[in-house]
Amino acid sequence: MDDIDAMFSDMMQEMDLLTQSFEAETESAPLPKPPSIPAPQEMNFSIGFTDLNASLHDLEDNDLDALMADLVADISATEEKFATERDTFKGSAPVAQIPSQPQSNFNLIASTDTSRPATSSNSIAAPPPPPTSKPSKEELEEQMKADKIKLALEKLKEAKVKKLVVKVEITDGSSKTLMVDERQTVRDVMDNLFEKTHCDCNVDWSVCETNPDLQTERAFEDHENLVEPLSTWTRDTENKVLFQEKKDKYEVFRNPQNFYMWKKDKKSLKDMKDKDKEQLLESSCLVLHFWVQENFCGASVIVPDLEGILYLKEDGKKSWRQRYFLLRASGLYYSPKGKTKASRDLVCLVQFDNVNVYYCKEYRIKYKAPTDHCFILKHPQIQKESQYIKYLCCDDVWSMTLWVTGIRIAKYGKQLYDNYKAAVRKAAGSATWANRTIQTSSNASTPSPTPKAKAANGHASHPAVETKGPGNQTSFPPPPPPSMEILPPQPPDPMLPPPLPAPSSTTKVNKFPPPPQFPQSSIPPPPTDDLPPPPPPPEDAEQPPDFLPPPPTSMTSYGGAALPPPPPEPLASLPPPPPAPQNFASAGGAPPPPPPPPPPPAPAPAAYQPTNSVRKVAPSPPQRTTPQLAAPSGGDFMSELMTAMQKKRSQP
Amino acid sequence: MAAWDLTVTVEDLGPDAPPLQISVTSDLHIGGVILKLVEQTNLKRDWSDHALWWEQKQQWLLRTGWTLDKCGVHADARLIFTPQHKPLRLGLPNGATLKMRACFSSPVFRTVMGICRVLNLRHPEELSLLRPVEEKKKKKDKDSSEELYDLTDVPLTAGSVQALYNGMPAHFADSPKTEAVYKMLSVSLPSPAPEAIAKLYRPASIVDKTHIHTRWLDSSRSLMQQGIQENDKLGLRFKYYTFHDMDPKYDAVRLTQLYEQARWAILLEDIDCTEEEMMLFGALQYHIGKQSLSQDMVSSCQGMDDLESALKSLEVKMVGDGNSTDMLDNMTAPELNDHLKIFRPKRLTLKGYKQYWCKFQETSISYYKSKEDRYGEPIQQLNLKGCEVAPDVNVAGQKFCIKLLIPAPEGMNEIYLRCENEKQYSQWMAACKLASKGLTLLDSSYQSEVQNIQTFLSMQRSSSAAPTSQTDESINTHSLVSPRYQKKYKPKQLTPRILEAYQNIAQLSLTSAILKFLQIWQALPDFGISYFMVRFKGSRKDEVLGIANNRLIRIDLGVGDVVKTWRYSNMRQWNVNWDIRQVAIEFDGNINIAFGCVNADCKVVHEYIGGYIFMSTRARQQSDTLNEELSEHKTATHREKKNIPEATNGGN
Repeated sequence: MDDIDAMFSDMMQEMDLLTQSFEAETESAPLPKPPSIPAPQEMNFSIGFTDLNASLHDLEDNDLDALMADLVADISATEEKFATERDTFKGSAPVAQIPSQPQSNFNLIASTDTSRPATSSNSIAAPPPPPTSKPSKEELEEQMKADKIKLALEKLKEAKVKKLVVKVEITDGSSKTLMVDERQTVRDVMDNLFEKTHCDCNVDWSVCETNPDLQTERAFEDHENLVEPLSTWTRDTENKVLFQEKKDKYEVFRNPQNFYMWKKDKKSLKDMKDKDKEQLLESSCLVLHFWVQENFCGASVIVPDLEGILYLKEDGKKSWRQRYFLLRASGLYYSPKGKTKASRDLVCLVQFDNVNVYYCKEYRIKYKAPTDHCFILKHPQIQKESQYIKYLCCDDVWSMTLWVTGIRIAKYGKQLYDNYKAAVRKAAGSATWANRTIQTSSNASTPSPTPKAKAANGHASHPAVETKGPGNQTSFPPPPPPSMEILPPQPPDPMLPPPLPAPSSTTKVNKFPPPPQFPQSSIPPPPTDDLPPPPPPPEDAEQPPDFLPPPPTSMTSYGGAALPPPPPEPLASLPPPPPAPQNFASAGGAPPPPPPPPPPPAPAPAAYQPTNSVRKVAPSPPQRTTPQLAAPSGGDFMSELMTAMQKKRSQP
Repeated sequence: MAAWDLTVTVEDLGPDAPPLQISVTSDLHIGGVILKLVEQTNLKRDWSDHALWWEQKQQWLLRTGWTLDKCGVHADARLIFTPQHKPLRLGLPNGATLKMRACFSSPVFRTVMGICRVLNLRHPEELSLLRPVEEKKKKKDKDSSEELYDLTDVPLTAGSVQALYNGMPAHFADSPKTEAVYKMLSVSLPSPAPEAIAKLYRPASIVDKTHIHTRWLDSSRSLMQQGIQENDKLGLRFKYYTFHDMDPKYDAVRLTQLYEQARWAILLEDIDCTEEEMMLFGALQYHIGKQSLSQDMVSSCQGMDDLESALKSLEVKMVGDGNSTDMLDNMTAPELNDHLKIFRPKRLTLKGYKQYWCKFQETSISYYKSKEDRYGEPIQQLNLKGCEVAPDVNVAGQKFCIKLLIPAPEGMNEIYLRCENEKQYSQWMAACKLASKGLTLLDSSYQSEVQNIQTFLSMQRSSSAAPTSQTDESINTHSLVSPRYQKKYKPKQLTPRILEAYQNIAQLSLTSAILKFLQIWQALPDFGISYFMVRFKGSRKDEVLGIANNRLIRIDLGVGDVVKTWRYSNMRQWNVNWDIRQVAIEFDGNINIAFGCVNADCKVVHEYIGGYIFMSTRARQQSDTLNEELSEHKTATHREKKNIPEATNGGN
């Protein structure tokens, strides 16, 4: 027992040291270094810049603000998470077993959502079900210890998380800088970008990587992790991360017949033209559903039976050689000269486990390729010309698209379809919300339309600029903990529970996962919104129950059954107003702090704390409602950061 | 009404007993006939399963309420009084023969349902019975003392829901004998000796494949009507290649038998695959065979997933409860330290292996000039995450090399590690394998990985020994591949290749290995196509029609190329002209095809198409109880013409 105690206190000391060194670092730094360097062993560099300092110098002020906001939110979230956790451990003490927590927390959420404070207080008052027999004192201690250890482990894990500062270029020439956590998928990053760029959330948006050395481009798949591939780039890389629409990303699901019946298409192109257009559309809709069902819903995915002549660059030579290639689920094969196309005679060029497929540009000049429609297969870590890269060349763009898509299907299988469904849901969600907000903003008499209009105008004047929270922070003194309420911006991970919705305001809508359109929607009436809702995808009919009303994902993870049943009429299906309107300003982006917001009911934070047993992988959301509960160290650290910010501002 | 004598043979009186003559009138109903008959035999026994079979007309008189007149029975009729359920020798997909009682009086479709109920196979509509291949050698009759499993004593229960006892349906738990039968059904059998595979009939061409499908029984007529006698042998196989609602929890037998059918299809070259695919199939068979042997039957089939999840939660609990020593262990990963010989092939160097002191830590190998230098800077550190690991082993030559292809921005770094002995090799190999997946030595799979490698090495050691079927440890790799590859490669060459493929799947559990096998099988381009020799209307030569679960394929007999594909989704209707035995199908866009079957009954083709269309409607009706009426309607009626609008819609 004693040595365990000793060890634990050692651990705690260690951690304190860690935190101190971390603070010291921030203080001594001439610039407010992103505090994502808490663990010394952590590798950290930024993408799109030569080094971290340069990257910070290079940043636009507003970029820096946004970045700072991310960091602050992140840190405070983490700190508070532990603070509250510790709190819960003390409060509900020994019997508060981890699994029981989400349960009670969820009760809280549900009850606040239905705006029945009485119930909520009831459920707060109700402690977790008492155990049938009182545990002995030793057991209690044991339990406490276990909890503490768990907490310490969690903290360590948190400190180890690798983060990257990534500069993402957008098609209009601008760029966004954001921090990406190693646990975030490309989907998460894109959601973040949607929020920052206010573009429509259609399914074609992709995060792509380009490599100027190899002249390649590849769209990351939505389920991929972003930090991992970026970490393997060389330090002096000129690779870029782009955020753009790629039409062929999910084309296979919209027009599967083009990919699966490509042979037929060529032959019966004329017949197709003769057909009545409407009929074609109708039948292709049917075909769509049919195909997708047939090819992606089984246990195994059916890969399009692609075959045909491609040019293969010979190993280590400059020449390109024609070969008859066949795509199979197990890899890319070619049939050697003089042999049949029978399976047994095929030669495997490459299997897909360790390689990715990349589009190439201008290989006619670079490698004397027969055409410019080339793609390569290589291990993601290879960044320069190498004999381990397979170079392939197609006759035309369409066949290149066919092959690349086919290879993606063979490589990722059903995952690709799952990604697509998620993307469609996201796009449909944003469209529906756009519609809904227009409706509500035009007919609802919102409490304070004028400041909101102002805010909207502000956005319109410089749309690319992130004017949320931290942008206005310079006017504040180093914030005392309570004012934190309005500071933290959107959580870096938008899948996390959003802040408490403001009461009866239309903007509350925007705080839910698809928020980018809120500047437009909060302009009072104009019905001619520049966001025409994309036509709902075919699956639409089945989807809505999944995301309308969009609850925070962490809530759904507790089990949808406990959610309050959405009332029938559409307006009412918005989550009912919670008691505290405190985050009004941060949502609207209005510079002056909102009139009076009283601190929210104290127990709320507990309700919003995702416990580690539920969401271990994502940073917890910014806790607008729990400043009082923030750990002292967290508060100190925050003010340090703020001072640093101010210093920087006042320097020039 | 005049009485007349009816001649009835009662089988139970013995083969030599003369037929009984009973005096009946034409208005006596069948039940009355049976009553008189039983009275006359003076035998006290259970007659409830007996019924009258009219030999000349090849039909059962099952309606006891009908009069003789209504049935058309006159004095010249010779009836046989015989049990409806008779023993049948059933050839299972796994090659075993099972003797069991089956219903000889109901349509084969129902008979199969009854059989499947006893065998605990869900979704009997996917299976059917077929006549076995005629055995060529008559003298083999003596040799037919094959091991026979007997289930004839097990009563056919009516209830569809089976109570589980000891992890198996209650009716199997009666005796050790029946338990052995269940084990045979639910656990895959050991690999056969290569000679046995080579001796079995293999279709050599697509024409041979068409013969297989001529043997299916008509599912709308009874076994008796199709000339099947008591104790005849029939094959039970999955007929329709669309496997609905596969759930390892309930489908132990189904999954195993399906795996066996797939395995034999591959071993007997029923379906073609590439060399790479064959190696993977071989590795999976080896793995499945090993797992099946090592695992307790119950846990291997039923509780597998439960067990795994239980283990998982236990692990989590351990982390939570873990005392601080555990925690510290968690933070410092174990290392491997040893002398290894390293060789880096470079151009224009003849340098061979050189000895270094190597340290394996986390996912990296660092090597030093000597053991004394180990605290200094390593000569090089290799991070193995994402690398390719390949064995280069020759047990006979005592060569244990690990070939590493480590990705780097410039390409792949090729490095060979040479180990001294098996033990060292298996440890380092396992570590490399895990590291390539980003796992450290800490991972729980490390020990099992080491063991797997050792087993495989011992397999290579014994591979030159006399060919035997799979025992606990050793195995002949020739029994894992089809005769084509048996001829192409010696076991010595084959083993390293299978070993290579095995590396990637060694960590799968039994169930997931089986699922993986099925998945790869289903992804083969020729999967699930049943071939029939047909002659299209207006054509002068025989062609092959392939029937798959979603399409019909016209195949040129000479070249083997696909000429045309029609999809069921475009099908409007199909008709059978029973007089000229011609199937006519109409597709969208006024496409009409008609063909007659050359070697099969066109009823079989008719049933196949109808069956697949019925199967495609299943996805919607989630009810477990099969809509039998519908199925029979689709598959087994003799109507001259059939419209299938609802079926085609279902396909969409």
